[in-house]
Amino acid sequence: MNQAEIIAQLQAIFDTVFLEPVVLTPAISARDVPEWDSLTHISLMVSVEKAFGVRFRVGEIESAKNIGEFADLILKRRQEP
Amino acid sequence: MSKLKHIIDYISEKHPIHTRKLNKTLVQLDGVYHQRAEQFLTRYERLLIDEGRSLDYAIDCYLRFIADITAESVRFRETGEYTSKSFAEVNRRVYDNPEVMEYHLHALLLSQFLWRHHYQMFCFFTQELEKHQTDIKNYLEIGGGHGLQVAEAIKTLGPDSKFTVVDISRTSLDLARRLVADDRVNFILSDIFKYQPAGKFDFITMGEVLEHMEDPGALLKCVAGLLADDGRLFITTPTNAPTIDHIYLFRNADDIRKLIHESGFTITSEFCRYAEEVSAEIAEKLKITLHYGACLKKSKCQSQ
Repeated sequence: MNQAEIIAQLQAIFDTVFLEPVVLTPAISARDVPEWDSLTHISLMVSVEKAFGVRFRVGEIESAKNIGEFADLILKRRQEP
Repeated sequence: MSKLKHIIDYISEKHPIHTRKLNKTLVQLDGVYHQRAEQFLTRYERLLIDEGRSLDYAIDCYLRFIADITAESVRFRETGEYTSKSFAEVNRRVYDNPEVMEYHLHALLLSQFLWRHHYQMFCFFTQELEKHQTDIKNYLEIGGGHGLQVAEAIKTLGPDSKFTVVDISRTSLDLARRLVADDRVNFILSDIFKYQPAGKFDFITMGEVLEHMEDPGALLKCVAGLLADDGRLFITTPTNAPTIDHIYLFRNADDIRKLIHESGFTITSEFCRYAEEVSAEIAEKLKITLHYGACLKKSKCQSQ
């Protein structure tokens, strides 16, 4: 998978977690999505981990500055044995 | 710029998701809150500066703590269980690890004024203390953490009152000693189960301790032995609160009440608040943390 494919799959997850539609691009970040708060964040992470079969380390999700970086993080975790 | 605004701006820069929660809840608090927060943060910043640190250091500690909670919350949502299962495990991960203890304590201290439910619980504590202040000559705090509550007790109680803080963590006692800065407080490094005081206490505070135990009932029974027959025990503990150092999972307030009664106590007053701004129905569905606090007295059959 590449970053674009990851983002396409993330789009489907965002569509189920957020009530207001969010159109994902690599540059979009949490600042651009008012509904993205602590509660929705947990739901999002649970869904993402499950969908991609990955487990994030403490603090690394928060360090991703935008969706592009988040997708790269997912790619990195997927490549781990 | 106010200290509180600086903190929110700093967090907003680094963690916009978390800032939304803070903004949503803090906006509802009144002028008294802002005055108290500002007074506390000014004193706290002075302490940090005296130690060659800054308020930003404490905020970074807080953000690290929030990252821990986020990771634990994801696991909790998946499994419905806390990740830490034993006291020995938590001792290794946290209490016996000064670096982790240090950021935890600073984070918890800030949370007293950044989390509405923590601030409101602190207000409930001060109300209960004031209600019983004339009867309190011998005050004990178990797991004093950062020392904010014993500092409040010193302000509220008479000059002849005695104050004791017992904690299992040296890092915790050191921070509390620096924050309280009062010779009247006897800080004791000890496991509460091994602590043998000369007399009984009129008022015991045990904030956020039960959930750190494998057997919180055993702790409550031990504390009953330290409390005077007509004394009061003030406790706080959360339900569904995944953090790296929580072991015992209370699933709702009734779980806590049941334990209190089974341990020989009667509830004289209580206070509950959800950690998130959601309806009770959503809170139950998503297993949102409920912060529970109560003032207890010994049940009649216990106080003989």
